[in-house]
Amino acid sequence: MRALALACLASALCLQAQPRTQEWRLQNGLRVLLLEDHEHPLVRARLFLSLRPGDTPPGRPGLAPLFHRMMVHAETADLKPGDLDRLLEDSGIRLTQSLGTDGFSWQLAARSRDQDQAMGLLADRLLRSLLDPALLELQRLAYLQLLEHPEGSPRERLRQALEPGARATRSSLGAITLQDLLAFRARVFRPDRAVLVLHGDLGLEQAKRLVLLSLGTWMAQEPGPQEAPPPSAAAAVPAVPDEVPRIPDPGAGLRVQALAPQPGDLAPEVGALLSLLVPGEASLDPVRVTLGEGGLVATLDSLEGSTGAATWSQLVERLEGLRRRGFNRRDLDQARLAWFGRRSLESLQPEAQMDRALAESQGRGVREDRLGALSLDGLNSGLRDWLDPAKLRLGAAGDPGDLDRLPRPDERRVGKQAPGDPGG
Amino acid sequence: MRPLVLILATALTLCGQAPRPTEVQERRLANGARLLLVERRGLAAFNATLVFQGGRAEEPASATGATDLLARALFGATWPEDLEPAKGSPDLEALLKQEEGLLEALRLERVHLKREGEVPTQVPSLEAGLAALQSRLKAQFSASPLADLYLARGGRQRAEATTDALLAQTELPLESFEFWCATEAQRLRTLQLSRFSQARTALVAELRSQGPQGLSLLCGAALPGHPYGRDLLDDLPSLEALRRSDLRTYAHRVLSPNRLTVILIGSFSMDRVLPLLERQLGSLPLPPDEEAAILPEITAGLGDRRVQAALGTAPRLLTGWRMPPRQHPDHLALRLAAQVLAGGQSCRFQTDLVRQKALVQEAELSLDVPGGRFPGLLVANLRPSPGHSLAEVEGALQSEILRLQQDPIPQEAWLRALALLETDHLLVEDDPAALARSLAMAWVQGGDWRLWELDLDRLRALTPEAVQAAARTWLQPSHRTSVLLEPTPGTNQDPVEAELARVLKALATAHIADPAQREHLVSEGIRQLRMLSAEERLHTLNLLKAQLVPEKR
Repeated sequence: MRALALACLASALCLQAQPRTQEWRLQNGLRVLLLEDHEHPLVRARLFLSLRPGDTPPGRPGLAPLFHRMMVHAETADLKPGDLDRLLEDSGIRLTQSLGTDGFSWQLAARSRDQDQAMGLLADRLLRSLLDPALLELQRLAYLQLLEHPEGSPRERLRQALEPGARATRSSLGAITLQDLLAFRARVFRPDRAVLVLHGDLGLEQAKRLVLLSLGTWMAQEPGPQEAPPPSAAAAVPAVPDEVPRIPDPGAGLRVQALAPQPGDLAPEVGALLSLLVPGEASLDPVRVTLGEGGLVATLDSLEGSTGAATWSQLVERLEGLRRRGFNRRDLDQARLAWFGRRSLESLQPEAQMDRALAESQGRGVREDRLGALSLDGLNSGLRDWLDPAKLRLGAAGDPGDLDRLPRPDERRVGKQAPGDPGG
Repeated sequence: MRPLVLILATALTLCGQAPRPTEVQERRLANGARLLLVERRGLAAFNATLVFQGGRAEEPASATGATDLLARALFGATWPEDLEPAKGSPDLEALLKQEEGLLEALRLERVHLKREGEVPTQVPSLEAGLAALQSRLKAQFSASPLADLYLARGGRQRAEATTDALLAQTELPLESFEFWCATEAQRLRTLQLSRFSQARTALVAELRSQGPQGLSLLCGAALPGHPYGRDLLDDLPSLEALRRSDLRTYAHRVLSPNRLTVILIGSFSMDRVLPLLERQLGSLPLPPDEEAAILPEITAGLGDRRVQAALGTAPRLLTGWRMPPRQHPDHLALRLAAQVLAGGQSCRFQTDLVRQKALVQEAELSLDVPGGRFPGLLVANLRPSPGHSLAEVEGALQSEILRLQQDPIPQEAWLRALALLETDHLLVEDDPAALARSLAMAWVQGGDWRLWELDLDRLRALTPEAVQAAARTWLQPSHRTSVLLEPTPGTNQDPVEAELARVLKALATAHIADPAQREHLVSEGIRQLRMLSAEERLHTLNLLKAQLVPEKR
């Protein structure tokens, strides 16, 4: 208890050491978070635009990634794509764009003297990009080529194949029209869906002026959204597909992998503690568990002499064993202590501070009072939900012969023995 | 009075905007270890990096893979049983010795079996004995991930084996600094390596599963006979023969204070950290004097070399030019040349090769491959766009190099390259882990950590003419090695392509005896067929299948 109190104190001190989040909202609904830090003449900005269930209409998987590709390559009202890059880089500005499971993100880093230019060009890319049919066809073709010839090693492709979300197919991509993309933009590209996080060498008044000048004219193209409910577990975790990804890797040993997507309704405090407790847990051995963007990833490589079916069931059984056993009071106390220490590490990483500010603004931040009050039952119930075998996404990579001998999807659930399986 | 306030305010604003150089304080501990301290006020945590000069390049043949194993087994985690074995079970050391004996006996028995063929062996009984012993060992190990002493305090640690050094980085809350000092000193005194066999098994499995890598092929062909050209995958038998006691002996020699630099970044002063470090890391014993390893020298102009191989899932061109080490005056000029060619989205590779000519999909340029302490490589890594051959890409790359060597570099491209380098420098400065790594690599590769600090000013002082002169000296065909990688037939996920590869192989087997010629024909056939649409490919597959005898269809 004393250790926990000390940890809380250390955490409080660490919060004092980190830049305080200052927050305001523009009239157009854009939320802005500022973390002032004048240590170096550098400014970082991250604009996050959330995606919600229903943004991609039925029958249009691949719409968001295709839109993302088009935004990277689109020209703006005044600038060709190459010109925009050139202008950014003339001032040494780094701008990257990414698409995650929960939304789009634009990340910017610039010398503080170039902040006006940087934000102005970010606004150009965001608000004045032109989507035209020629660009659509070009990017559709590039995306199709990527689908047919995926990049990365077979094991990397296995990891990608387990990511949640409906997969784009040749026909779903072919069905996407320019109108779909424009409607998607009108639906998603709204200032009231966006959060802008600024970090670095700029003061509050300076930041307010900068954001107003660059993004103050951003107006939603569609009527205001209905207040969307927070993503529920059912919405955030799509149904497990019947089709199990099997990635051929001739001559290679068999690798079986499971992704346990983080449940949408999992309390952030439970998620934070489980992500400290589960990876490296000895009872999972020889299964290795890592924490990724999509959730927990469990991996098991088949040993010489063991069958694919045995490997498959061993992986699922190890996870199920931990799920049934759960953690004890000591584990919970240790994890809390570790979490308080880990929080102070954020002071070393500006990106982590921005992540946290963003999470807190979306109600996904870990609250110390709730963490302190978390019960063992709450923790284990979260574990049971996270490792629910019905929600696991399983896949394998290896020699085609080994893949063929793997059990079918309906045989792989816990409690069902695969034919020829010695029992793992 | 008012003007004075204005002047003061202006001066303060300007001071705030001007880049302040990172202030690094340097000290030597009593045993010769170096300390670099970067004071950052207001941080609630610290970054501590241990850098041991040497790395893979200095491994003798008998200790191949030792740097990687030390990164994993020594610095990968901080288990209590490794730090204070005497406090734990008295059996642990005895069990580890037994494990070493069994592993060696098993290895020798397997070698014997391989040589002699099918003869009765002790392999099964040894395997059973080892499994039983390892389960007893496992019972001695910490079970929870939070038993890791750093993780329990919320810390993070990672270790990196490079060709030039072994780096171990730790981040911990500020109040754990004293604990960190004591723990690291104890780790280096004890060198327990209790999870040695697990680390080695995992490393061997990873190397096997990755298989040959294009970059390793390039380094091997471009830097023959030099440790920089060595591929760990070729030395798996040595790695498997390395024992825990061998690794401990090696570690005693290379993880010594005279090879060590400690880099600390955090909110503490030299007065506070120096006595603690002196007491802990400064009291580590020095190993007996030894002669410095002598490494073979490589002349840059070995001649133009070309290698063709079937590897991976996509065609790639890897071209490497032998370049000078980091200490050489031309090194920075080549860094700027690389920035002009391949830095950012508006560099020449992107504008000319990717956008204008649409010849390649990806283009990268890396310096100091695999290291920068000795002459290494400047490597261009290009992935052709569909429908374009590696030969076309090779020609276009050569044109870009000639253009760099012959045409003046436009002022705007020059300023852009410098602006990007300046932002990158600031980003590194702003991230303690990246800053520590940069200082470490400047020390191990260039012999002086100040190189990192001075780089930006020295880059600004360069002229376009100096960059062109360096490009003419170093980026010439006699310094060049090219590796042309075609996809391994059948590795692509596309089932039609896998089937096409199978059918083509079967057809080729019936007509061509030479396996190399056969592989080449199949690869070329697959490449050509990729240019067709999916429907056309399916149609072609059916036509080809019809030519096979029924049982092979």
